[in-house]
Amino acid sequence: MKQDFKPNIVGFLCNWCSYAGADLAGSSKLEIKPYLSVIRVMCSSRVNSNLVLNAFLWGADGVLIAGCHPGDCHYEKGNYYVRRRFALLKKILETLDLEPDRLQLSWISASEGKRYAEVVNKFAEDITRLGPSAFHTNPNI
Amino acid sequence: MNEKIGVYVCECGPNISERIDIDRVLEEISSAEGVKVAKKFGLLCSNDGKNYLADEIKKEELTHLVVAACSPREHEQTFMNVCLEAGLNPYLFQLVNIREQCAWMISDKEEATRMAIKYIYAGISRVTLHKPLLKKELDSIPDVLIIGGGISGIEAALCLAGKDRKVYLVEKTESLGGMVKKFFELLPYQGSNLAVIEEKIEQVQNNENVEILTSSEVEDVRGFLGNFEAVIKSKSNGSETKEIKIGAIIVATGFKLFDPKNIPQYGYGKIENVLDALEFEQMSASGKILLKNGNPPKSVALIHCVGRNEKGYCSKVCCLYSIKFARHLQDKLPGIDVSEFYSDLCLPDKADQDYFEEAKKKGIHFIRADNLELKEKDGKINVEYKVAGGKKDSIAVDMAILAPAMVPSEDTSKLAEILNLPLDETGFFKEVHEMLDPISTPIEGVYVSGCALGPKNIPESIIQSQAASGKILSSLIPGKKIEPEVKVSEIREEFCTGCQTCLSVCFYGAISFDEYKGISVVNEAICRGCGSCVGICPSGAIRSKHFTYPQLYLEVLQALR
Repeated sequence: MKQDFKPNIVGFLCNWCSYAGADLAGSSKLEIKPYLSVIRVMCSSRVNSNLVLNAFLWGADGVLIAGCHPGDCHYEKGNYYVRRRFALLKKILETLDLEPDRLQLSWISASEGKRYAEVVNKFAEDITRLGPSAFHTNPNI
Repeated sequence: MNEKIGVYVCECGPNISERIDIDRVLEEISSAEGVKVAKKFGLLCSNDGKNYLADEIKKEELTHLVVAACSPREHEQTFMNVCLEAGLNPYLFQLVNIREQCAWMISDKEEATRMAIKYIYAGISRVTLHKPLLKKELDSIPDVLIIGGGISGIEAALCLAGKDRKVYLVEKTESLGGMVKKFFELLPYQGSNLAVIEEKIEQVQNNENVEILTSSEVEDVRGFLGNFEAVIKSKSNGSETKEIKIGAIIVATGFKLFDPKNIPQYGYGKIENVLDALEFEQMSASGKILLKNGNPPKSVALIHCVGRNEKGYCSKVCCLYSIKFARHLQDKLPGIDVSEFYSDLCLPDKADQDYFEEAKKKGIHFIRADNLELKEKDGKINVEYKVAGGKKDSIAVDMAILAPAMVPSEDTSKLAEILNLPLDETGFFKEVHEMLDPISTPIEGVYVSGCALGPKNIPESIIQSQAASGKILSSLIPGKKIEPEVKVSEIREEFCTGCQTCLSVCFYGAISFDEYKGISVVNEAICRGCGSCVGICPSGAIRSKHFTYPQLYLEVLQALR
């Protein structure tokens, strides 16, 4: 069963670093697992708790947030705000009976195409191992 | 629904067509709600492609356009221009990236096609919620305010002032020239005489496009790039204030010296003939290097790194001016014994090493030491120190000259507050990026140059002023309008509870609080559209245009379909 499981992962990428890193991964023809749907935001700080939690409630098996490395945010401090929110969201996921590992925050710069592919593939692997999210499989929740 | 959405898939030569089944994509999405046409084309970014798209927009009377092609980082603007040409508001367009994200990264054609369909669905759902934003054009004022009349400020004024551009040069003291004017000479290889500085001062004074406001301070600044208003208070004219309008600002407020009294073991202020570097510069400038008793000194100790440990950084210029002092002392008082006490020598520029080696050859002693303590002994100054290995030693000298750390000038924090600029942990102004954007600040149109950013030498200060001037010359062109970002945040009054959390996260100071209404207000001309405030607003009252909740939610739903 788990063998056939194709997870649905939502990835919020900031426009300036991580989305550009993804572009580089693409133009470098690096292979990624086709489980992640990218949503572009201007800054990772735009990704608030509602977006992440709703993604899970609607059946996402994993959510990836990616932004500029600390100190490199295009808007100076946005990634620090999302980092704090991320710590909080991890706690909230526990209370929802979701494995905190289903949410990941990564720093990927515009020059890190290789890292983008590695992060996405590793995350896809981790989520595949975790199996479908409880919200996905249990229609009663 | 009255939308007539046109979806155009670009083959991108073989890039997309070979790796995604475009016909299947078109079959699937042509029945999506609101889609009037779904077609493919060979290369949409080519001239043929752009003409084709423009014709299609007109022929099909499209209300919205979705192009599935490459990354928005590559051709978003290209297709926005096509919209503009075809009479469609360019913001009613969405570029869906199926090349980098699908064709190039997913080798299984079936899977790549499946993902491409998802992304295009997401694009179709979000585009219907796009608003026909309008690029705003604002008149801009080309004039510039320069705060600080030292060498940095003077250089910037000379670069900027011209027929079409007035410069206001505000200086706190009564005269221009700043710290450099207090020096008796420059380093020989930096242009050995101060006449070059005098010349610059004269040029700026004679420039009819520069208005010099001495004994004046900046009291208040409001506005944004192209449209700042500043209040300048004159101390000499009975605290008279003057309001000026400018388009950009350069902060060139320089530095002051760390007060050696903060470290009692140097004896500064207690022991006679212990001077700081500026006092010695002025003494040399007067031509009379004398002890308190009126005699010339026979021996001098030059103490480097005063306050370096306390401040936590090297001030970069002290080693070289201390060598300059030593050589000057030898020239003026032949036979004098000069010792330099340093912890690390800083000789960063290409001519510095030679200057130091020559000094050594001339018999100046260089002693690497720490734990220095100056004590009064038999009318002389006894310098006690420890050398590497812990051995203690001492020498008695007539005069000691301290080289204190450079620290931010007096009003730095006050000015930072007025201009809404960040300071770093050392208290100097903080640049946007030390390497990539070393003179810009988070406030567009406000730059910092010279020692206001941290210790540096005269050439470096001049370089920074020229750089800041270049930024202004290229962004604030007389007669040219300014186009602020339009995908900005807006606050929905009815939902704002007035908690002001958004104010704390806005790095640009674009949000202010309307006391009367009890709500936050965004200044759209300053907002850069990052969405930090949207992300943090606990009541969901802020909307970032084109990245609204409904738009992102629709994208999430399509991702999960």
